[in-house]
Amino acid sequence: MEIRHYWSMAVAAVGFRLVLVLFGGDLHLASRPEVSTPLTSLRRLAEGYWLKQVSMSPYSGSMYHGSPLLLSVLGPLTSKRSGGHHSHIYCSSLVFVAVDFIAAMLIRSTGRTLQMARNRSLKSLDLTKSVNNSVNVSAGDTASLIYLWNPWTIITCVGSCTSPIENLMVVIMLHGACSRLAPLAAFGYVMATHLSLYPAILILPVALLLGYGPDTPPTKVFLQKGLSANKIDMSDNGKGTSQKGFGQFSWKPILHFILWVFIWSCYVLSLNSIILNKVGGLQEMFEKTYGFILTVKDLSPNIGVLWYFFAEVFDFFRSFFLIVFNMNIIFMVLPLAIRLKHRPCFLAFVYTAIVAMLKSYPSAGDSALYLGLLGLFANELAEMQFTFFLFFGYIGVSLLSPVMHNLWIWRGTGNANFYFATGLAYTCLQVTIPLCEHNIECS
Amino acid sequence: IFYEFNYRHMANTLSLYRTVKRLGIPDERIILMLADDMACNPRNNYPAQVFNNENHQLNLYGDNVEVDYRGYEVTVENFLRVLTGRHESAVPRSKRLLSDEGSHILLYMTGHGGDEFLKFQDNEELQSHDLADAVKQMKEKHRFKELLIMVDTCQAATLFSQLQSPGVLAIGSSMKGENSYSHHLDSDIGVSVVDRFTFHTLAFFEKLNMYSNASLNSLFNSYDPSMLLSTAYYRMDLYKRALNEVPVTNFFGSVMKTIHTDSAYTGFLAAHDAELPLSVGNNILDHVMLQNEASARRSNIEEMNEAQLMSHGWTEVLLEQLEGKNSDVVVMYGLGTMGILLAISTWLSM
Repeated sequence: MEIRHYWSMAVAAVGFRLVLVLFGGDLHLASRPEVSTPLTSLRRLAEGYWLKQVSMSPYSGSMYHGSPLLLSVLGPLTSKRSGGHHSHIYCSSLVFVAVDFIAAMLIRSTGRTLQMARNRSLKSLDLTKSVNNSVNVSAGDTASLIYLWNPWTIITCVGSCTSPIENLMVVIMLHGACSRLAPLAAFGYVMATHLSLYPAILILPVALLLGYGPDTPPTKVFLQKGLSANKIDMSDNGKGTSQKGFGQFSWKPILHFILWVFIWSCYVLSLNSIILNKVGGLQEMFEKTYGFILTVKDLSPNIGVLWYFFAEVFDFFRSFFLIVFNMNIIFMVLPLAIRLKHRPCFLAFVYTAIVAMLKSYPSAGDSALYLGLLGLFANELAEMQFTFFLFFGYIGVSLLSPVMHNLWIWRGTGNANFYFATGLAYTCLQVTIPLCEHNIECS
Repeated sequence: IFYEFNYRHMANTLSLYRTVKRLGIPDERIILMLADDMACNPRNNYPAQVFNNENHQLNLYGDNVEVDYRGYEVTVENFLRVLTGRHESAVPRSKRLLSDEGSHILLYMTGHGGDEFLKFQDNEELQSHDLADAVKQMKEKHRFKELLIMVDTCQAATLFSQLQSPGVLAIGSSMKGENSYSHHLDSDIGVSVVDRFTFHTLAFFEKLNMYSNASLNSLFNSYDPSMLLSTAYYRMDLYKRALNEVPVTNFFGSVMKTIHTDSAYTGFLAAHDAELPLSVGNNILDHVMLQNEASARRSNIEEMNEAQLMSHGWTEVLLEQLEGKNSDVVVMYGLGTMGILLAISTWLSM
């Protein structure tokens, strides 16, 4: 069932962003810690670009910690100053609006693919009647509209940070994997890992998507159907077709994927070494981007939980706790993969939620991504508990967090604990969402 | 280093300070010790102004004067502490002589002096053997490579008669038994405003700029005994270099050898000749050896081109083969190609 007025709502979202870009200069979103982190801030990118223009390493001075490719693409946009002091913001913000729109379109087509796959699998289980009876909105349209109209996405888009590009790469990867386009998926994977390290764990869902195909109900359901007494003949056929159609893990797309990952990563690394030719080379790039992400050198407040902890940890234990926090993400990868291997797209969503919670410099852009992906599973959302709590929790956190920051930093009547409390509340909310979804999926 | 007391002595010091700054030495490399009682003296009818010429054209006590030791801080003890570097720990860096074994130091002293002494603030004396001792300590502690002592007092040459450390050159405005005279009297202020020796020194330097290579010899030869009314005596037995080869900016100015490079920072495999430091000794054999190294390195790189080894020189190869196009343009092409490749591959696999 298509959503009525889909296109008008999508265009209205884009128009709203344009209005904010053109007339929202007073919001100063770029200076909010929830929006721009040391990794994604456009101001730091401008600094890195300027350093590169004077033949110094863009990483010197520990301002810029992103990818050299972004420097080449976005750098010239940040330095244009023709016609008014805000024109450089226009160019880069328009780029981000376009990027958001493309990401929304890709989410939509991913949703369609998922929908079609689900309908196919349900049809093979002769459950079409229940399909038609249950609430069945088009997942793709819902997800893309959620992505476009989510206030966090809008703030990220308008707030001069490079998160929209990272989100676009993850969405490209998922789209390519769902449509079984190995080069596209490999491109998205390589670029997403290159820009921020954490999408590397998404290789598991992507591999599962390419091997198994998009989400299907667990094989248990197929086996149960096969074992139903009344249709023994059909059961043999059904089991046969189910195993052939849905239980088989095909290696060919995986091999294509690996080949294309190799090709794209060689290409990207060679481009980077050309950019950093005279000014430090690839080793410095890895040290300053991945090393910076993993060793959490910058402890300015953000909406995550790591800065508060690492501000007070003793130096003797710092490496130990760095390992603990990084392992925290890695240890969740495998068990979730085993549990959710039949629903790789959902697995990808859970991974993005975990990464958004536990990464070293989270921001509003990360939650924009997984809230958008949440919409892909809209059909199950209808049964989710705690929606009231979550919804108003998000609103509360997004309103209180800047207030607490202001109290702490500008007025001095609060302290870091106020701001950290909102960060903790935000993390609790993020934990709840995948848990609820997981309960629904596996019940 | 300067020390000062009467009006003309202060004017002497400040004029030489100004000259030395004009020739390039920054304030952080100058330690100025002045009794500093003339500019704001109630008897000075030009308050906060010090002139060294009766035409009053140049106010020496302007905005750009940084006095490190003034008034009662100017003592023999402090002077010797500055020379030897033996300060108490609380003394700030600006008051220390932060020199090392490669430094060229100019020490200019003016005031009232006599046979083997120099007067400090009318109640102390700096004796010549104290000065020699301090210079010997400086040499032991490697605090200078070359030292020029210039003294403008009566019987100035006796002050450095006891020196024995190598690398020291000294010139005084008068010999034993002679007086040094002031140059002229400013009837407006009522005192003499500059001494003859300093006046002629300044006159010599006014013709120079930072890049002149007038030699010390020409400076010393410019002192005409009939104009000075005393014999400017210099002592060069401890100084090993020939005076006509040493430029005055060796001591009086600050000239650094600059090497022109094309960009701010060059890369790691540069095979430019400009990067090779030529040895200061100008040994011709060394020069030839360095050139050979450069050409050897360059041929190494060419071999690498041909052998196509996978070291980080391959980007150099790539860029050279693109005939030195700007790397930004290359990157733009690379990104465009990436997009096209992505589109084609996606279309093909659908």
